Amino acid sequence: MNEYFINLNDFNYLICQLTEKAHVVAPANEFNRKYLFDVTPGNVQRIDLSGWRTVETVKGHFFKVAELVSRYFGEETHLSASPLVVLGARGCDLEGINVLDRVFGEGDFQDPFYLVNREKSILIGADCTDCGKNCFCTMVGGQPYPERYFDLNLSVVPNGFVVEVGSDKGKRIVDDYRNIFSKVLKLALEAKTANREMVKAKLTQVNRQYQLEHELAFVHKKNLENPRWRELTKDCVECSACNFACPTCTCFLLTDQPAGKNSERHKIWDACLKGGYARVAGGGNPRGLLYQRLQNRYHCKFDYSYDRLQRYTCVGCGRCIDGCAGNINMRQVFAALDRELK
Amino acid sequence: MSANPYQPIKAEVLEVITETPQIKTFILRPETALPYLSGQFMQVTIPGVGECPFTPSSDPKKTDTIEFTVMKAGQATSRMHELKPGETVGLRGPFGRPYPLEKYHGKDVYIIGGGVGIAPLRALLLALFHELDHLNKIEVRLGARSPRDIPYKEELNNWRKKEKTKLVLTVDRGDADWQGSVGVVTEIMKPGDVNFETAVAIVCGPPIMMKFAAKKLLELGICEKNLYLSMEKNMSCGIGKCFHCNLGKHLCCKDGPVFTWSEIKDIPDPW
Repeated sequence: MNEYFINLNDFNYLICQLTEKAHVVAPANEFNRKYLFDVTPGNVQRIDLSGWRTVETVKGHFFKVAELVSRYFGEETHLSASPLVVLGARGCDLEGINVLDRVFGEGDFQDPFYLVNREKSILIGADCTDCGKNCFCTMVGGQPYPERYFDLNLSVVPNGFVVEVGSDKGKRIVDDYRNIFSKVLKLALEAKTANREMVKAKLTQVNRQYQLEHELAFVHKKNLENPRWRELTKDCVECSACNFACPTCTCFLLTDQPAGKNSERHKIWDACLKGGYARVAGGGNPRGLLYQRLQNRYHCKFDYSYDRLQRYTCVGCGRCIDGCAGNINMRQVFAALDRELK
Repeated sequence: MSANPYQPIKAEVLEVITETPQIKTFILRPETALPYLSGQFMQVTIPGVGECPFTPSSDPKKTDTIEFTVMKAGQATSRMHELKPGETVGLRGPFGRPYPLEKYHGKDVYIIGGGVGIAPLRALLLALFHELDHLNKIEVRLGARSPRDIPYKEELNNWRKKEKTKLVLTVDRGDADWQGSVGVVTEIMKPGDVNFETAVAIVCGPPIMMKFAAKKLLELGICEKNLYLSMEKNMSCGIGKCFHCNLGKHLCCKDGPVFTWSEIKDIPDPW
């Protein structure tokens, strides 16, 4: 059996139990938006799994904004992480974590700092019960509910949740608290399906003006040298909010500084929109112009990533649209490029 | 390589050779040997300042010491130029794809270098000298801004004496003593230098020189898959994670830094 039912009281009890073993973060409502907060037994009631994804991503819990990665020449930098439970991760958030897992965990070299954080984490997903005006997961192959990459997933139904087990880690939680998980009834499953279909339909409605005739990878490959990129990106002000708000942007910078008799190296978030990002010694810059950098960001997500990881590295969360100081709407860019191919 | 890919190992500066007013060669002794192949690069740490990616310029068969020939170009390289013997630096690597020497066997090898781009080509040449029996011939064309900007001056004469090897130098501006060719490197690349239909060509130098040398080589008839370019971008992590060095879909640090023209020709202005 892979699906269970848990009622609201038992759910709160379970989360209280988890806070004793791990740092738990979950969404709460603030000014009609969702933000992650630190859950304690005293504030479990604040958890709100309705609506759509939080304003901020969960990536900072695994790929830290700034992290000490080397103290040289001295003892090895100690690898440590505290147990973490991310509660209420949406389908887009989980897809984003999958991108991070692949970038930092695959290839000839792995990033041990990221991996140790991930090993100590439990991901509890949640179906969206609504969508934001900038949500477009269904345009990039996603769904407004987690399909994969979760340990447990929660679907809000009357009086509780349908709980789906997605991994051994998730199964262990169910096994440890077996008495509070019950057989899921048909009515609850029907409510789950009905909610999913309702949110999907709403997403279609929200994005109806951006429907594309061609695949996004094809749209980008065919428009690699289109001069229209200058016009489409003219409102970019290089603030890099899109980079920092993105659940899949993994770019970072290694920066060194003296520390007593030794030196330290930190890994810090970086942004490909910044003018100095690709600049080389001597001043040469392969992407000296701002439009080239924003265009590169689109190609990174929809063209290069497809070759590298066989998937888009945009999950359609819309945070870049929410955060853009120049009001650039990624979907309008897609639609304009798509029309160029007619 | 330690399990932490960001951790440098210690290396002692044994000797600093002033090659030109802007270029110095640093002979380093790493705490533990870091075997590499020609064309691969390493990250050199200037403690407390930062890292710079360089391709070693020494013979890859020599593992107790590693040499880097470095032009003063920015903050970290300026600090590097102040290094004295006995000081400590850090090393991470080697990273990236090397020159596939076995593919050069039985062929003419045409090596085109410019400025400090001669440094990685020195490592390549020294590696090729071990394999001369397998090569038809080596033709080297090097360009520098002026006679005083040519590194490895004494060593160049030794290379000239090697069997199957021919070296031609050119400078942008000569001086009173300069007997050689004057002009950019593409002017000393001539039909008949090698059998372009089957030869391999290797280019390393400043982006503008690479662009025009590659264009000239294609005009001379080199096959796209036999044209090797050393595309050194802003490599930071060296391990394919930070994305600073992307060249279209490629990451120079892991897919390069050595690319064939056929691999990158579809990227608009890859230089």
